[in-house]
Amino acid sequence: MLNSVEEGRGGTLRSVLIIVVAILLQVAVANRLPLPGSVTPDLVMLTVVALALFRGETVGMVTGFCAGLATDLVPPADHTIGMYALVYCVVGYISGLASPEMDRSPSLPFVAVALGALVGNLAYALVGVMLGDPRADWSIVSRTVPLAVLYNVLASPFVVWAVLRLSQRSERLEPRGGLSVPGFSARLGRQQR
Amino acid sequence: MRDTRRTRLVLGVLLVTSLLLIAVDHQGGENSPLRGLRGVGATVFGPLERLASAVVRPVGNTFDALRDAPGQRRRAEDLLRENQRLREQLRSNTIDKDRAAQLERLLGGAGLGGYKIVAANVISAGQGYEDTVTIDVGTLSGVKPEMTVMTGEGLVGRVTRAGPATATVLLATDASSTVGGRLEDSKEIGVIKGEGRRGLGVGATPLRLQLFSADAPLAVGQRVVTLGSKGDRPYVPGVPIGTVARIERTPGTLTRTALIHPYVMFTRLDVVGVVVAPPKRDPHDAVLPTQPAASPSGS
Repeated sequence: MLNSVEEGRGGTLRSVLIIVVAILLQVAVANRLPLPGSVTPDLVMLTVVALALFRGETVGMVTGFCAGLATDLVPPADHTIGMYALVYCVVGYISGLASPEMDRSPSLPFVAVALGALVGNLAYALVGVMLGDPRADWSIVSRTVPLAVLYNVLASPFVVWAVLRLSQRSERLEPRGGLSVPGFSARLGRQQR
Repeated sequence: MRDTRRTRLVLGVLLVTSLLLIAVDHQGGENSPLRGLRGVGATVFGPLERLASAVVRPVGNTFDALRDAPGQRRRAEDLLRENQRLREQLRSNTIDKDRAAQLERLLGGAGLGGYKIVAANVISAGQGYEDTVTIDVGTLSGVKPEMTVMTGEGLVGRVTRAGPATATVLLATDASSTVGGRLEDSKEIGVIKGEGRRGLGVGATPLRLQLFSADAPLAVGQRVVTLGSKGDRPYVPGVPIGTVARIERTPGTLTRTALIHPYVMFTRLDVVGVVVAPPKRDPHDAVLPTQPAASPSGS
């Protein structure tokens, strides 16, 4: 799945851990926040996008699929199974394609995560509309998606930062692929020495 | 790009898998063969959610205590200047009292209507477009699917799925939820539908009442209780739902619709009760709050 076997194992375990934590934070904390409009940021999707941006499209889509399937099965879920698996998989793949560009500018990951969140929100709404889900009625979609995107954009810097922190620790100072977000790597490097 | 063909292959497999999942689950509906997977999800993630919720609850409670009671907060801040330890003590006391009061109201309401309830805490909530929550009681406490969930204030929703120690509740505000309702003091019946996530909708209420009779008397401030389902499942009769906030006049329709302001704050659910045994007799309007809502609560 990843480049080399020994790095792969640690990286996979770490990714699984990050996703599980993200899902628990999502259902137990984020979804219960009484935010205006009763819409909540999608931390799991942001995490998938962030992981994909730092690790490439293969990791992105596999992580996305697994995270999506878990989100489909986690207790309060009550939609058609597979919807999040499909959406997160696609979002993870698309975000992963952008991973080689990530080292161009330190602010690029944040922009990319926001864009990924936008794509994910629209894709989920689209799948819901196509399935004829009464919850994804056009009137509901049109009034919630803009707000959901806004919340995701607001939450994305924190998620990018956390994912970067957590996923980088195992990889020391060897930024692989699109890992090198200059400000962060430098700071992390100093802390670890 | 390294290994593009393999990447493409994996992507294809994953996409086909998820599309298959969607197709099978969508076709199957309530009897879908994949529903068993949700049971696995509940067994695996249920305990984790309980744990996570137990960890974050004190944090949330602290925020709630601060927001709910500005007076308490001021007092707490005074004490902060005096003594950090005392302040912490005070806050935790307030929270305990608050939750005890919630529980008492719940039990009081249940006693009034003759409902037999199991008290539960909300531990997590659904995302996307679904208005669902997980509660920390399950089949081990006698909770089964299609049971009514209420708080001391009124109707919350119904249990859709029950795991061993957790259960999923579909809130009345969910866009796929319909509840039979009855106007107080009259026999006018109708259907209360959830409006889904509010989003940017201004002045919207989370519930909408459709009266079956086109010329039924309907006034702002009138209160609505559950009608009760056949065999008391999923909804038991007499649970307060809310008050009529605004009447919509749409010419040419056979039904009358009204926006309902619910008694329950759906975004701030904490202690809820699952009605495990319905009342022996329909409590009619007995469970409604004592003082009549003379001035209709706005919004």
